[in-house]
Amino acid sequence: MRSAFSNKKIIALLTLPSVAIIIFAIIAPLVVSIYFSFMEWAGFGAATFVGWENYRQLLSHDTTFYRSLSNTFALILVTIFLQNPVAFIVAAILTKLKDTASRTLRTIYFIPATLSLVVVTKLWTNIYNPSYGFLNKILASLGFGGVSIAWLSDPRTALGSVIWIMIWQGFGWALLFYYAGLMTVPKELEEAAIVDGANRLQLYTRIVLPYMVPVIQSVIVIDVISSLKQMEMVFLSTEGGPGDLTQFIAVYLYQKAFRYSEYGYGNTISVIFVILAVTLTLVIQWAFKERDHGIKRRLR
Amino acid sequence: MTEFRMRHRAKRSILFLFLALFALAQIFPLLWVASYSLQKSGDLFGPELIKFPTNPVWNNYVRAWTDGKIPQYLSNTLLVVIPSVALSTVLSFSIAYAYTRMKWKLRPLAWFIITIGLTIPIHTTLLPNFIWYNSFHLINTHLGLIISYVAFSISFNAIIFSGLLSGLPYSMEESAFLDGARYPRILVSIIAPMTATGFATVGVQTFLNHWNEFIMANTYLISEAKRTLPFSIIRFQGQYSADYAVQFACMTLVALPPLVLYFAFNRWIVAGITAGAVKG
Repeated sequence: MRSAFSNKKIIALLTLPSVAIIIFAIIAPLVVSIYFSFMEWAGFGAATFVGWENYRQLLSHDTTFYRSLSNTFALILVTIFLQNPVAFIVAAILTKLKDTASRTLRTIYFIPATLSLVVVTKLWTNIYNPSYGFLNKILASLGFGGVSIAWLSDPRTALGSVIWIMIWQGFGWALLFYYAGLMTVPKELEEAAIVDGANRLQLYTRIVLPYMVPVIQSVIVIDVISSLKQMEMVFLSTEGGPGDLTQFIAVYLYQKAFRYSEYGYGNTISVIFVILAVTLTLVIQWAFKERDHGIKRRLR
Repeated sequence: MTEFRMRHRAKRSILFLFLALFALAQIFPLLWVASYSLQKSGDLFGPELIKFPTNPVWNNYVRAWTDGKIPQYLSNTLLVVIPSVALSTVLSFSIAYAYTRMKWKLRPLAWFIITIGLTIPIHTTLLPNFIWYNSFHLINTHLGLIISYVAFSISFNAIIFSGLLSGLPYSMEESAFLDGARYPRILVSIIAPMTATGFATVGVQTFLNHWNEFIMANTYLISEAKRTLPFSIIRFQGQYSADYAVQFACMTLVALPPLVLYFAFNRWIVAGITAGAVKG
């Protein structure tokens, strides 16, 4: 019977197709990307080997690259310090509502998350439209009729407007994660705290929040990774402009390769992007694990 | 007492107002577009903040359907999404089973390769695949797109399945072995039915993701005739750019199927997401 659980033929049959498809479609392209990251190639003609030149250029002279990193960082900050707390509070209120009300509201809040990035982006580019968009009509109805803001092309509003689309669609996800987490807080824990005379604020800061730390950590990991991976919304709205004010790393590598015909350089950005994504994931997970141990040690 | 109750009631209504405002913020853009999709394009430029379609112009939808080439894009989407969802579901169930229930040496390595898809950004495969897929004649084919969709969805789906599978008692298989049952059969007629919820969650979730996917389709599919549903919206940017109402109708049409699916399978979608978050 033991041998039935280690039947080699069955294991190979169950495993190899998935492994093969991932090696073919994810790992092999990475190797191809590393190869081309050392080349200068316009997409046609001969490719020339340039050694570390692309990397040197990217890391020491490319201001657009650093702009796209700082934009990603801005998005991470807005997500963690604005979207997440609001989602947490709304989720906490939802747990106190009657079942039907809570379910109806949750269903509505999650609608944007089910729409495609193309639909979401096009919805908002129309809302932002300077001549017929809803936003400028609000301004007009408030008496600022002369003011017409081109939300996505004005340097003062472009980044904010793009980030708003992103956190708008992400809100439903954050809410759902926090709601699911809050539902696992034991009722006895809350009741005991109230019996001990804790008020509502104390209940949340002293009991619920510490209990939710693992969930909050998971959500932050997801936030950071998904911020890093933002692309389609920018690609379909501002294309990184005006200038490079709304540039994100994935859009930048795409444009370098397909618009400016710097295929080799685009791959260099790709490779750095993979390194960033992997290190960032490892670092956050490691940092959170360290903290967890710290908390456990203190509890002991 | 009455004062207390009144204050309580006031607090409750403020709370409800707050929640309702949020709900409105989450669906307003969709309602706005849907409402103008039933009017004349010129109505959009009117002075009023928002105008309701008192005389619905249904013809916008007819034109979106034909000028947006929706039948063609729709059949392309189905040609890609049906195989990719089926493959991804079966493959991720298989690997999750082998990982959680069976004993073999390369287990950790295989799982590492599987979960790689969660960390590597899709976008970093776009440039190299343009060359790599081309050498297998996979560029501008639905097969190439299916392969990429499956590869990137196996990771998350396998994690969901492994969560469900590790909870099953080993006596399930052991008694089947004693009865003389063999492997493929045990998987199909005993284990798979026990993880039916997993199949529902993974199926719906993957369907939505692949239905909505844009950037890989935009990169790998070059000819108009091969492209998928999101392109019906993109199409209007060029030659039909002034026809806002038809554009809006097209957006509404494309947004509708995922919405219907979401309302029908709400429970499974939520279960899948929550499983993902709890696992981290």
